[in-house]
Amino acid sequence: MNVVVNRPEARWLPSRHRFALAQLVAFARLRQSDQQIENAPDHLILPIDRDQSAAEVYAVAVWVFVTVAAYLTALLPMPLPLAIIAAIPLASVILHLPIVLGGPILRLILGDNDHIKIVSVATMSLLIVWSFYIAHGDSWARFAAWFFFAVLACNAIAAVILWLMRGVVRAEESRCAR
Amino acid sequence: MTQPSWWQRFDVRGVFWRHLLRFGILNVPPWIEPVVMASWSLFFMFWGPARRAVIRNLGVIKPGSFATVNFFRCYRLFWNYAWTIADNVRFKERRIIPDWEFTGWDHFQEMQQRDGAILLTAHMGSYDLGAHLFSETSSRRIVMVRAPETNPETRAFEQDRAAEGLRIEFNTRSTDLAIDLLSIIRDGNIVAIQGDRVTGEIGFLPATVFGRATRVPAGPFALALAARVPIYPVFVVRLGRRRYRLMTARPIELVRSRDRDDDFRRAVEQWVGELEHVIRECWSQWFTFEPYWPELVA
Repeated sequence: MNVVVNRPEARWLPSRHRFALAQLVAFARLRQSDQQIENAPDHLILPIDRDQSAAEVYAVAVWVFVTVAAYLTALLPMPLPLAIIAAIPLASVILHLPIVLGGPILRLILGDNDHIKIVSVATMSLLIVWSFYIAHGDSWARFAAWFFFAVLACNAIAAVILWLMRGVVRAEESRCAR
Repeated sequence: MTQPSWWQRFDVRGVFWRHLLRFGILNVPPWIEPVVMASWSLFFMFWGPARRAVIRNLGVIKPGSFATVNFFRCYRLFWNYAWTIADNVRFKERRIIPDWEFTGWDHFQEMQQRDGAILLTAHMGSYDLGAHLFSETSSRRIVMVRAPETNPETRAFEQDRAAEGLRIEFNTRSTDLAIDLLSIIRDGNIVAIQGDRVTGEIGFLPATVFGRATRVPAGPFALALAARVPIYPVFVVRLGRRRYRLMTARPIELVRSRDRDDDFRRAVEQWVGELEHVIRECWSQWFTFEPYWPELVA
């Protein structure tokens, strides 16, 4: 694993982020981080891993959780306040299902290895299919589904921008991580 | 050795939970991790003895605090513990390290440059991850001393997955171990010991932590006196997701005098001062799931 030592601004390396939207925001922050960072620690080791950003991971987790909870709330045949209360633990259970059901199957087929990429793609695909179904309905949850697709669209646009700026991004990363 | 019953696998210290954690590390997408962590931290709040012990310990660390507030603080502690053990397994299985910040870097470097030292730490943050980091970045060999897992299957599981380059000794064979550790230190290496609580039948020294009488392990202090090396208090604290701080404090120098008890007393006082300071600041990361003070047991 590659690491950057004693460069606090390396927190904003796009390659420490997973999704294009987060990478684009990180790139903007990285370009603004030339000034001295206050309260820097005595020594700092920052690994370069695509899932290293806490802000990105928490933001995506909250977004996905709220989206699933909204879909479940709309589905549950009970008064709205009760449906919200029931949907919160149910959303957590639903998000566990692809892992609990898919993980053992993948282990049988592919062996006892790292299956995160496959589980991640499968979970996001299921979420897209479910959102597509909800977006075409007439319940209030369709707004959550539309928002879900709006975020995906923004991420796709960010991916295109990053691709167009790939030379600049690479140069900025090299400058920071050299 | 008697074979454990099948249901002991599901005991809170059973091997089932180690397998489940490893399964999670190999299958949970990072962007779902916070939801999974929040759910399982809540699930482990059903572990009554640990929950009650943490709440009681917090009552001493934060005098005058309400039990209801400490219940929610207990959840925060379980949440930190879940992330910490997950980061540890992630490193073992996928070699992914977190962000590391160091404070007391001068002391840390001094410790590495010395011919032998004792690293004294507590049940906080990721002790294992800190030791792994040390073994990977230091030219000195580090030997960890710890209490063995009580469940034989869990012990075997952990031994099978111990990181390369890291030697772990268990504190059950105290006499032989003391001689081995002395030899390791005299060879210029570092011995890491958890010095906040006494587990099993090991020697102890009296101490006063947060104004209440308790005991701390005598081993590190006796070893420092015998080997004539300083003790470096080192704490690993979780700052956030995949982000840790390694804090190294001023070394404790044990000066041999005619009064051995007084030598120990002064060293223990300095250690307890560091320990109290860190626990007061980072109470949500002191992973002590038993009542710490004997009076709390009563």
